[in-house]
Order: sequence, then C-alpha cells, then structure tokens
Amino acid sequence: MTDLFRLRARGIRKSFGGVEVLRGVDLDATGGTVLALLGENGAGKSTLVKILAGDYEAEAGSIEIAGERLHSLDPVAARRKGIRMIFQELAAAPELTVAENVMLGQWPSRRGVISWRTLRASAGRILDDLGVALPLDARVSSLRIAERQVIEIARALLSDARCLILDEPTAALSHQEVERLFAFIHRLRDRGVAIVYITHRLEEVARVADTVHVLRDGASVLEGPVADYVRAELVRAMVGKAVGDVQRPAPLDRCPSTELMSFEAAACGSAFMDLDLKVGDGEVVGLYGKIGSGTAEVAEAAFGVRKLTSGCLGVGIDRVRLGNPVQAIRASVGFLPADRQRDGAFMIRSVAENLCAPSWSRLARARTLISARIEAVAYGRWHDVLGVRSRNDPKQSIGTLSGGNQQKVLLGRWLESGSRLLILVEPTRGVDVGARAEIYKSIRQLAAEGVGVLVVTSDHEEVVQVADRAVVMTRGSISAHLVGDQVTVQRLSMAAGE
Amino acid sequence: MSILESGREGYARRILQRLPDSAALIVFLVAESIFFSIKSPYFLAWDNWLNILTAIAVIGIVAAPGTLLMTAGQFDLSVGSTTAFTSVVMANLALSHSLGLSAVVAVSAGLGVGIINGFLVTVVGVNALITTLGTLAAFRGLSNVVAKGQTVGVEGFSGLGTDRPFANIPVPVLVLVGVLILVWALMRYTVYGRAMYAIGSNPAAARLVGVRLRRFIFVGFVLSAGACALSGLTLTSQLGVGSGLFGVGMELSVITAIVLGGASLSGGRGSIVGTAVGLMIIGTLNNGLTLTGVDPFWQDVSRGALLIGAVSFDRLRSRLGA
Repeated sequence: MTDLFRLRARGIRKSFGGVEVLRGVDLDATGGTVLALLGENGAGKSTLVKILAGDYEAEAGSIEIAGERLHSLDPVAARRKGIRMIFQELAAAPELTVAENVMLGQWPSRRGVISWRTLRASAGRILDDLGVALPLDARVSSLRIAERQVIEIARALLSDARCLILDEPTAALSHQEVERLFAFIHRLRDRGVAIVYITHRLEEVARVADTVHVLRDGASVLEGPVADYVRAELVRAMVGKAVGDVQRPAPLDRCPSTELMSFEAAACGSAFMDLDLKVGDGEVVGLYGKIGSGTAEVAEAAFGVRKLTSGCLGVGIDRVRLGNPVQAIRASVGFLPADRQRDGAFMIRSVAENLCAPSWSRLARARTLISARIEAVAYGRWHDVLGVRSRNDPKQSIGTLSGGNQQKVLLGRWLESGSRLLILVEPTRGVDVGARAEIYKSIRQLAAEGVGVLVVTSDHEEVVQVADRAVVMTRGSISAHLVGDQVTVQRLSMAAGE
Repeated sequence: MSILESGREGYARRILQRLPDSAALIVFLVAESIFFSIKSPYFLAWDNWLNILTAIAVIGIVAAPGTLLMTAGQFDLSVGSTTAFTSVVMANLALSHSLGLSAVVAVSAGLGVGIINGFLVTVVGVNALITTLGTLAAFRGLSNVVAKGQTVGVEGFSGLGTDRPFANIPVPVLVLVGVLILVWALMRYTVYGRAMYAIGSNPAAARLVGVRLRRFIFVGFVLSAGACALSGLTLTSQLGVGSGLFGVGMELSVITAIVLGGASLSGGRGSIVGTAVGLMIIGTLNNGLTLTGVDPFWQDVSRGALLIGAVSFDRLRSRLGA
C-alpha cells in the first residue's frame, strides 16, 4: 500500500430522541495501528463507529478520509473509502460454504453462470494469504464463531478494506481463539490496515492495541498510546471514578451450617460425570469453566431444567429431588440464566411484571387475583435496594433499560420470591463495569443474609472478585477445588487447562 | 382551578396516556360512524346500534378468549367449525331429548374440540396453526356428517338468541358483554392472565420462572372452545336451527378483530378493550355497507383489507418507533 490510510473525525455530535449520545467526539484511525475504543455500555462507542461506517448521519462535525473532507458519509461512500465493519451478530449466509461466503457478493461468473472453480481458487488464495486453514466446502453453519469471524474479515479484505471496525469480537470466543484472533489482527495491522477495536474488556487492550481512546457519556476522556496508561487509569477514565483492582471478598466469619444444594456422584449424559458439589447457606461458590466444560449443564440440573442420568441431587432445606423449575422454585431456588434476552427477560413487559413473575401466586390474593398495583408495590421494595437506574416507573418495559439494569431487575426476581439458594449463570455478561460492581455487592449482601449462591461463570476475574471458594471444571469433571487465598486468576486458569 | 377540576384533568391525562395504542382505532371507528351516518339516516338510530351489537355478538364471544390465546402466542382457527359442531349436536339431540340435556352434551362436544386442540399443541407439540387448521377442516366435515348436510330445526329454544330481558337489549349482546368483562378481568387481574402474557413474550423465560406453560396453553384452547360452544348455542337459538354451515369464515373475523385491537401475532401483547373496539369497527363497517346498499360480497373484501391494513399499520408504527 502506497499511502497511509488516515481517518480523522472531528467534533462529531449525535442525539437520539433529544438525548445527546455523542457530544463533540474526535477520533483518529491510522493505517498500521490498532486503536482500542473503550467505554462502558451506553458511552457512545457503537454510535460513533456506525457514523464512521455511514449507518448514521452525524448532526455536527466533519470526517476526513485520506485528506479528503467529507460532508456526508453514507454506507456506499464509506465502503468506497475502504471502511468495513464486522458486526457482533455475524451476517454470513450460514447454509452456504466457506468459499461461497468468502466471495459473497462477488462470485465470478460468465454470462450469469458461476465459475465454481475460479470461486474456490480465489477463496482459497485469500484464506492462505491470511494464514488460516479452513475447509472450503464446509458449510458455515458447521463452523465455530471464531472461524465465521475470520470469514467475515476475509470478505472485507477481499473488497479492499483499508479500515476494519471490530465490535467486541471476542465476546463468544475461547481463550485459544482469542489468541489466534489477536495474531490475525496484528498481521492485518502490519499490512497497513487501520483497525478500530471496540471492547470493554480491559485485559485485551494492552495485548492487542497500540493506541487507546476512552469514551464516557458521549465524550472523549482519554486518548494516547496504550503503553502510557496502566489499567487503573483506564478504569477510572471509563467509569469516572477510581475502582480498585480485582479484590477478594472478606473471609466468611462463620461456616455454613446448612447444606442448600448437594450433587453426589451425579452425572448427566456426556455433559458432566462423577460430580460432587455442595453449596451451604451464606457462602458464594464460584463454578468456573470454559464454554463446553459442563458448568452450564450443572447449573441447569440444579434448577430442574435438566435431569440427572445417575447419582443424586438434593436442593433446599428439604432436599427435594427436582423434575422441573416449578419444583425448584418451590424449594426456594432461584436461577439467573446466561442469556438474558433469550431465557431471562420478558422484553416487552413491564419491569414490575418481570420482577414479580416467579412470585405471582404468592403475591396474589387467594393465589389467583393479582393487580398491577400489587406488582408495583413489590417492585418499589427492590428498585432502590438493587440500584436500578431508571425513573422508578413500575410500568416501564424492561427492554428500555440498559443491560446492567435489566440484570438487576432479573436478580430482584429471586429476592422478591425469597430464594434461599441462587444459581447465577454469567451474572455480569454484557454488563458495564459500574453495574457489575453493584451486582457483586448485591451478591455479597445476599450471602451475608444467609443465602447460598452458586456463581457459574467463564470469567475468572468474576470468581476471584465474588466467590468464597471456587470449583473448576474441565471436560465434564471437577479439576480443582480452591479455597480462600488460593482463588487467584492464575490458579483458576491453570486448573481450567489454559 | 378547583381541586376537583385539577383531579379531573389528571384523570383525563392518565386515560390519554393509557390509550395511545387504541387511540388511532377509536378515531377510525368515529370517522367510520360519521361517514355512515351521513350516508344513511337510519345508521345512528339506537335500534341500529343494537343490530350492530347483535351482529358481532357471536364472533365477539369467540374473540374474547381468542385474545387471551393470542397474547400467549397461540391462535385457534377452528372456531367456526367448533361453533357449527356444537349447533348440529344440539339440534340433532333436541329431536329426541330434552333441551337441557342436549345443551349439556353439545357444550361438552364443543369443549372436546378444545381438548383435542390443546392436547395436540401442548402434549404432541404440533404447532397451533397446523393443529387448528386440521380441526377446522375435520370438524366442519363432521358437523355436516352429523347433520347429514341438512339444517335441523329446534323447537322452543329461542330464548337465548332472541329474548330482550333488559332495556330491549337482546340476550346475545348481554352475553357478549359478560364474556368480554370476564376475560378482561381474567387477563388483567389473575395470575393466569399474567402468565399468558409472559408465555407469549418469552416462552423460555416463562418456563424458568415456574410458569406451567403446557397446562396454561391447554386451558386457553379449552376456554376458546367453550366460547365457541356458547356461540354455537346462541346461533342455534337465534335462527331456530342447527347447521353444519354455521361460522364459515368466522376465524377471519375473529382474528381481524383481535389484531385490529393491537394484539401481536407473536404474542405478549393484546387487550380486551382493543378487541372490543376492533369488533365495533368490523360490525359498523358491515352494517354501514349493508345500509348504504353495497353488494354484500364487498363486505368480505372490506374485512380482508381491514386485516391487512391493521397489520401494515402496526408494522409501520413499530418501524417508525424503532
């Protein structure tokens, strides 16, 4: 590449429905560098890059690409300038092959007849060039998310991308896949591509980026070379206040006296086997494992969603055997699913309904009659306790809240229902730093009140920060028990075989 | 300004806040009424309003539990056949048995269709569209088999359909109002109603908060069939006959009314107030077209256009809102 790609955005402003989302932001992206764009959820990262990709029109400000000042940028113009965005939800055609997907939109043809040989050859050349080995004839639906991402990137490069925007690309990737993606990104950088890497995972920034740019509440609050900043400074810039490094919770001042859940020699098909796991009152147990290690299935079994194929499980004070979630709830067990949108929230219903759902029968008169007023009162009990940031309107639909606030409402569900045992799966996935700290505080508070908590997670920092002891799973079996000071990021990673 | 007045103003505002979804509908209904009242001198007469209400009574009784089902993301296309089936069972039995016994058996037969629908959807797991499309065809046929393709006369059963016990209002209209109020209360003030909204808006999440999905949906189909049985008896009483041809195309009117009323086909949204307004719009349109001497075939055209118009309007609105 002869000239260096340069994108200069100056004074970008944008508002939605009267709320200013971007308040005069400047951004520079240069060929051959990786820029990390940091910020909490709602800081304006996505809006900013969508303006760069031409999806939104800025209300004020200017964009200059390769020395040319552009007054308006529409998607076609952005493409022509070489800007490509790789979305979190990948838009590939999953039922087509790898080769077809790489070449999507530019299949070689003569008089409308596709030349399959040329297509395969070109796709193969591009993938070789990028140093990735993928079966050209495999269907994309059979590939892992990481591999699909590579295909998306390959397609972008094929159409002469000069600037790649990656929106939280590692959200669904395993440890090794993240490593591979980073190496891949660096290779692209060295070829002169400008990379804008959006994330809210701080540990990734130092590894992948050359420069960093932090947004908070729609304004730039920090920018410069990554090497100039330490983690704490970036956190402070993101949340606007100092947040300590990963800290262990204070040790328990008393031992659990009642067992609230115990798996004994339990197995469930090939998902997990020979499992012994106990949770007592007043303790937080972290169940740590990578995706596919069996932790998700353990959580489901503990709530009666999945049946054991052998061994036994008792939950609650009465040691009930579970067949379905109804029995689990009756035994005072609560469950926060990993995927909030798919399994957790009733997006178009009100926050009050969402919070009261498991408690409807108990709240209702004669277990039958309930009104919005009864629900509003129940919601009022928890709105402040949980620190939900909204206008305390019980009728507001939960879909209008940010991810962190939705999660607080869903946690409140089980507070209202009076659960004695909570199974929380990935409780802070897709939640910003501030809300994360508040959710951890709520979890510790619950434990202090005698609730037993099982935090099932693939985030080792989460375990360190919130759990009294940790159980690590690999390939369906427990590989380590860690207690007290043993619970560190390093030991967790080691036990999980990373 | 006195306290009373400010309180009133607040009340009015609250009503306005609650009505944004139905407001467009009500405007449409009023415009429709003004249009027909200019075109026909009879339109605004009290007796004509009673005609309109009587005409929508049968579909309205069925649309009430239909709304409940749709909020749970389900629907029942077999309503017309269930209505006809109930009516022919009633009329055939009444030839040889007492009216009371015949009615009890006929209602049970109607409920039976609901039990079949509910069983297929919740236990076997067939999708509601296919299930009720199947029972729509099967019970239409069965009704004609039972009635041997004839209309069967019923003696002395005209009370339910034609009596006017109160303010000259026919019984079916009173039944309609009663059913609407019952289902409204069920949806608004019971755990069951809440759970149906939850099921429609996210079935997976509903299961994880302990909602007994299958049981509740099953009950929904039985309620729908119960309403069809009631409408079947009403029709039999009104016309003095049972017929396998009752309720042909009823599902179109019922679903149009529910969707006009703001219910979402994918579930989670819907209200009885909306459905009631939707019913009035359909009733007014049919009545007005008849009064102004339009060919009755045009009524089908208008109903179809109304259904598509209502859904298109909803799509446009949600797209603008997003």
